[in-house]
Amino acid sequence: MIGGALLLVIVLASIAAPWLGTVDPISIDPSHRLRGPSADNWFGTDRFGRDLYSRVIYGGRISLIVGLSVAALATLIGLAIGLVSGYLRAVDAVVMRVMDGMMAIPAIMLAIALIALSKASVLIVIVAVTLPEVPRVVRLVRSIVLTIREQPYIEAATAIGTSVPRIMLRHLLPNALPPLIVQATYICASAVLIEAALSFLGAGTPPEIPSWGNIMAEARPYFQLKPWMVLLPGVFLAVTVLAINLVGDGLRDMLDPRLARRM
Amino acid sequence: MSAPVLAVSTLRTYFYTRDGVVKAVDGVSLSLDRGETLGVVGESGCGKSVTALSIMRLVPSASGRIVSGSIRFDGKELLTLDSAAMRAIRGNRISMIFQEPMTSLNPVMPVGNQIAETVALHQHLPPRAALDRAVEMLALVKMPEPRRRAGEYPHQLSGGMRQRVMIAIAMACTPTILIADEPTTALDVTIQAQILDLMLEMKERTGAAVMLITHDLGVIAETAQRVVVMYAGRKVEEAPVKALFARPRHPYTRGLMTSIPRLNRAPDESARAHRLTEIPGVVPSLIDMAEGCTFAPRCPYASEQCRVAFPPEVEAAPGHFVACWNHDALPEMVRA
Repeated sequence: MIGGALLLVIVLASIAAPWLGTVDPISIDPSHRLRGPSADNWFGTDRFGRDLYSRVIYGGRISLIVGLSVAALATLIGLAIGLVSGYLRAVDAVVMRVMDGMMAIPAIMLAIALIALSKASVLIVIVAVTLPEVPRVVRLVRSIVLTIREQPYIEAATAIGTSVPRIMLRHLLPNALPPLIVQATYICASAVLIEAALSFLGAGTPPEIPSWGNIMAEARPYFQLKPWMVLLPGVFLAVTVLAINLVGDGLRDMLDPRLARRM
Repeated sequence: MSAPVLAVSTLRTYFYTRDGVVKAVDGVSLSLDRGETLGVVGESGCGKSVTALSIMRLVPSASGRIVSGSIRFDGKELLTLDSAAMRAIRGNRISMIFQEPMTSLNPVMPVGNQIAETVALHQHLPPRAALDRAVEMLALVKMPEPRRRAGEYPHQLSGGMRQRVMIAIAMACTPTILIADEPTTALDVTIQAQILDLMLEMKERTGAAVMLITHDLGVIAETAQRVVVMYAGRKVEEAPVKALFARPRHPYTRGLMTSIPRLNRAPDESARAHRLTEIPGVVPSLIDMAEGCTFAPRCPYASEQCRVAFPPEVEAAPGHFVACWNHDALPEMVRA
């Protein structure tokens, strides 16, 4: 509940960024560089004189877009691969070895490598963060399918003449959905973090687009003098990730009948 | 007599396991006439269910295979049909009721939708009409409040109700053949009778032929017209139900009958004389079966010949087939 409320506030703030007392987050003002918080610039300004408050609020858009897109993409791709892999034994061995291989490479490394191969853009970041998340979804879906496929009702469905794709969509998918939705929220949280880490390392969102990661990266040299420049976007990042994870836990309790006590 | 609607001949279904080849069904022939009820009895592991799965072409493909034989349905050979054609038959012309009503329904789908799925699949009805048909079917299987129950999930129904749903699914497309694999085993006795009655009523209504697989001779006596007795992957006796109960000709069938407790014993008879008999020994491993009759090691009447070759099937009386070397020499059965 708290998580949902927090997340809602953050999402609304990102959508409504232009109407929340912000100015253009990339307009440079050389005469107001590295100012502390004031009535004009609530969070102060950065080394180019850009308004930090505006940058943080606009930065939330990137984080959320990346988080949601990655969660949606990774879940859909993983679901499709997982269903096929779990139900059709022939492809299972090959698919799982490929997934094992992908899981052996650290997510951030893989993302950095992918971004190094192309031009920095939000789309590339999304693709780069999605790829390492896919194997996790595949494994989850596959393990669920493996248990469900042995159930007599799958045999019964075959016995009434149901085709394989139909069994996957109508009988296997609904069983896999609840844990998958929960997994998607965790992926969303982790994607927000990885995007920030990539941007912080300079391998993520291009510098002209503000994101929490690159705001912190730019503020890093001034941390000892003006710590709020790092801490403020950091707090937003932490609160967002926390909120998403809380929503994930809430969904899990709601969707898993074994954990449902109050509902 | 018209041509049988289902003719299985010398069916062999083997499972290839690490320990060897399991001959689950080894040369079984049986036929099913239009509208008749055929009982298939035997102990656990004698190949009853595998025979049924073979007819549906649902033998688990990981290890099992139909090695030889033929299954003709309405004159069409089923074993050579492609999978799409087979799917059009499953649930539509031949349908099956499974043993476990608890787990044979999808827990995350309302039961009405599960019935509607069959209808939509085979009769190409739009979803709405299919659902209406599902509610009709639920009413036919005497489900109270069919419209409300159609929207419920399997866990909200009792075991008997779930088996009614299974029957509704099986009968929704008015199949020509209904294969019921121990449909009442998992239910308690009072519900068993209701479900059997319901199955027979549905059969009368649609004119379907029923292949009733069970290990319960009582169920057979009440429902079937003909009986096939299976032992260790083979058919050992086949007879009209009255003839079988009047004079079982295979020692195994006799063993089955004498191991049923009876209530109508005369009071002066001593309890000791009527101690329930059993068939000594256990079903042999289906992997390395000995030469000769599979029942010989457990058979009180076994002779030298029995251990050498499996007996051929002979027609001992009209319509009464038995595979036993000594079927003529068996003593009169002592009835309790």
